[in-house]
Amino acid sequence: MSLIAFLGAIETGLLFGLVAFGVFISFRVLDFPDLTVDGSFPLGAAVSASMIVAGYDPWTSTLLAIIAGGAAGLVTALLNIKLKILHLLASILTMIALYSINLRIMGKPNVALLGDDTLLTPLEAVGLPYYWIAPLAFVLVVVVVAILLILFLKSETGLAMRATGANPRMARAQGVSTTMMILLGMAVSNAMVALAGSLFAQSQGSADVTMGVGVIVVGLASVIGGEAVMSTRTILLAVIACVVGSIFYRLAIAFALNADFIGLKAQDLNLVTAVLVALAIVMPQIKSNLKAKKRLS
Amino acid sequence: MIEIDNIHVTFAQGTPVENHAMRGLSLFIPEGDFVTVIGSNGAGKSTLLNAISGEIRVDTGSIKVGNQDVTRRNTERRAGDVARVFQDPMAGTCEGLSIEENLALAIKRGDSRGLGMAVKREYRQRFKTRLKRLGLGLENRLEDRMGLLSGGQRQAVSLLMATLQPMQILLLDEHTAALDPKTAAFVLELTREIIEEQQLTALMVTHSMKQALEVGSRTLMLHEGKIAFDVEGEQRKGLEVKDLLALFEKNKGEELADDSLLLG
Amino acid sequence: MGLKAILGASALALGVSMLGLTIPAQASDKHVAITQIVEHPALDACRNGVQDGLAAAGFKVGENLKWSYESAQGNPATAAQVAKKFAGEAPDVIVAISTPSAQTVAASARHIPLVFTAVTDPLGAKLVKNLDKPGKLITGITDLSPINKHVELVQQIVPGVKRLGVIYNPGETNSVTLVSMLHTEAKAHGLTVVEAAATKSGDVLAAARSLVGKADAIYIPLDNTVVSALEAVIKVAEQNDLPLISGDTDSVGRGSIAAVGFNYYDVGLQTGKMVARVLNGEKPGDIAVESVQKLELYLNPAAAERMGVKLSDELIASAKEIVK
Repeated sequence: MSLIAFLGAIETGLLFGLVAFGVFISFRVLDFPDLTVDGSFPLGAAVSASMIVAGYDPWTSTLLAIIAGGAAGLVTALLNIKLKILHLLASILTMIALYSINLRIMGKPNVALLGDDTLLTPLEAVGLPYYWIAPLAFVLVVVVVAILLILFLKSETGLAMRATGANPRMARAQGVSTTMMILLGMAVSNAMVALAGSLFAQSQGSADVTMGVGVIVVGLASVIGGEAVMSTRTILLAVIACVVGSIFYRLAIAFALNADFIGLKAQDLNLVTAVLVALAIVMPQIKSNLKAKKRLS
Repeated sequence: MIEIDNIHVTFAQGTPVENHAMRGLSLFIPEGDFVTVIGSNGAGKSTLLNAISGEIRVDTGSIKVGNQDVTRRNTERRAGDVARVFQDPMAGTCEGLSIEENLALAIKRGDSRGLGMAVKREYRQRFKTRLKRLGLGLENRLEDRMGLLSGGQRQAVSLLMATLQPMQILLLDEHTAALDPKTAAFVLELTREIIEEQQLTALMVTHSMKQALEVGSRTLMLHEGKIAFDVEGEQRKGLEVKDLLALFEKNKGEELADDSLLLG
Repeated sequence: MGLKAILGASALALGVSMLGLTIPAQASDKHVAITQIVEHPALDACRNGVQDGLAAAGFKVGENLKWSYESAQGNPATAAQVAKKFAGEAPDVIVAISTPSAQTVAASARHIPLVFTAVTDPLGAKLVKNLDKPGKLITGITDLSPINKHVELVQQIVPGVKRLGVIYNPGETNSVTLVSMLHTEAKAHGLTVVEAAATKSGDVLAAARSLVGKADAIYIPLDNTVVSALEAVIKVAEQNDLPLISGDTDSVGRGSIAAVGFNYYDVGLQTGKMVARVLNGEKPGDIAVESVQKLELYLNPAAAERMGVKLSDELIASAKEIVK
């Protein structure tokens, strides 16, 4: 694997680490299986790309993309809470609606950002090779978001949110408004995914209406993968595991792309993903079996 | 103080399985009363507790908690006044959270929650002191996950959580029923001590008539969604299980069919 | 030391072996890396065309050409990683099939010559700033509909045509672009354009009827809404002797008179030849972006008869396909 391919895997892994944070909040913290992600990722890209092209500065554009993502999460939560639509179905409805909305926002299926000023443009003046810029910038973003996320989950409100997902009856008995927590959590989750989409568009040179396909699978694979390779006993570890899982996933893909010598090709990626997720799911069992053996000996 | 006025609750109204669970029950519990509640299956014990906590909305009638009409409030908006320990040790705590996180959740019962750290240093000292008196060594396991604790330990922590903050009424829903006899006795004794020390107003549902008479200051028996009898003070002193049965027959003109009440 | 440590160690070993195992090709061989967003019959045909076009220009895979191919499986994040893989391998040329793949390569492999293909609007996609002189390291082939050929075809079929009716959905970006191009081309050929809008397929019939008496012929661009309700237009065209010409060849089989189009294998062939020019030392920035050169004519004489025109023998002789 070349240095550029390796850095590329890290860069994409970091970006999808943000998606994994979002998936962690919906699937793990709130226990709310949410597929909105497949729509909120391109939503973030569509909003920021359209605004940048229209002449707004990248910071405002990215901020608005985050807000738009949060709104998408709210819609799914409201469909579930107010209209009593099953969570999975509610999220699918928002996801397909977002496809049309993203097309409307962009006015066409693809908005190009090549050559436009993005959040990364000021960094290009620093003089580093271009393939170092995005990974370094994204390390910063992911670290900041991770710290905020950890502090939030350890706060009074964050604790109430975790209780909402784990034991809603008990949470209500403690005076927690579980509906508020679901609304808030879904908004935060999709806001982070939209941020990832926005940054992806800015680093890849375009927003495309099809770019949300499979984002949820990747996010889930990252969360599960992270849980498999490290302990997630505390919130700190669980959040770090999301990024670790995401980077491992990207390195695995880079490996598949660069493993010509064992005959793997890009078209085998879906198989590699399936094997990876399957491995990640059985890994905890293997771990506990190993531990049990150790205890016996 | 609790004031319940002529409440009716009907489940599955208009269907073949319609169940008229509360039939015009009225009850006044002054501050400091420790009421035990008995009744056969389907008598309305759980429905009464759920109606007070807000998990069930009453069809008609009103419920006042500490002079405030809470009839239309949901559970989370009553939580500041109503604390509760569930029958199932799993239900009252979060197994994925640590002991201190569970307690931190409870210390804010009914309060608004902000973005400050949930587990503060000053709380931790308080948790330790409270846990210490359980005598279970939990004061040294603050960061352990709740899921690692036994049912009895969890129920003891549930009780601590419910009584960490002041409340108008403490609801105990057969909270020792799922425990083995030794642990059940321990949790019951703990309950008694805490209620006495903190001079709490409490409503305890139990499946044992014997226990209902031994604990508390007043005993209610429910039957078909109404109060069959209500004894306290001098009248209650010296009563035995067979006296309760006689009382029931006198008031209702029928014999009690459910033997399970005699056991335990 | 536990499973985690073992995992970590093996991952490290794997990484080291991957870094070490990049086998360099023979120095004299040229290297072309090709990426496409998804496996799709048209895009696959295009890719085969590229390979054959290169072979025709003397660059044969396995003899003197190293050929790397990756599909992103429809996943943009994978497309980004494919682009980075190629960037790291530093081939002589990267060929990108489809707009998203081309954009990703342009963003991620900036120091390597890029030839894009099957990109409809290279200017809108910001791949090049100027079609005639792209500059920098990027050029390629656009598969934009050859509107001028469409207008010429209309004139060949309906010699006296003055007013050309067009039905389209103003909500489809591609159609809006095509119709604005149609205005320009029609003017150059001495025609006026009469527009009829249909925002959903249910409106197509009414839109077609609105053209009766106002147009001498009807043209349908590659518009998803109108093409999906093409039968309504055909009905109106046949009832009122209004010749109907389409922008896509598939419609000819359904009952429009004629269309000129292309197949993607030929697009690939043309791309392959352009890649060969870059391999031979030309700067991509000096090569103008080309549109598809080899066009095919599809005709439906029976439909022509129903719409009151007769196709000339000359036209029939030049057709690639005659629909019976």
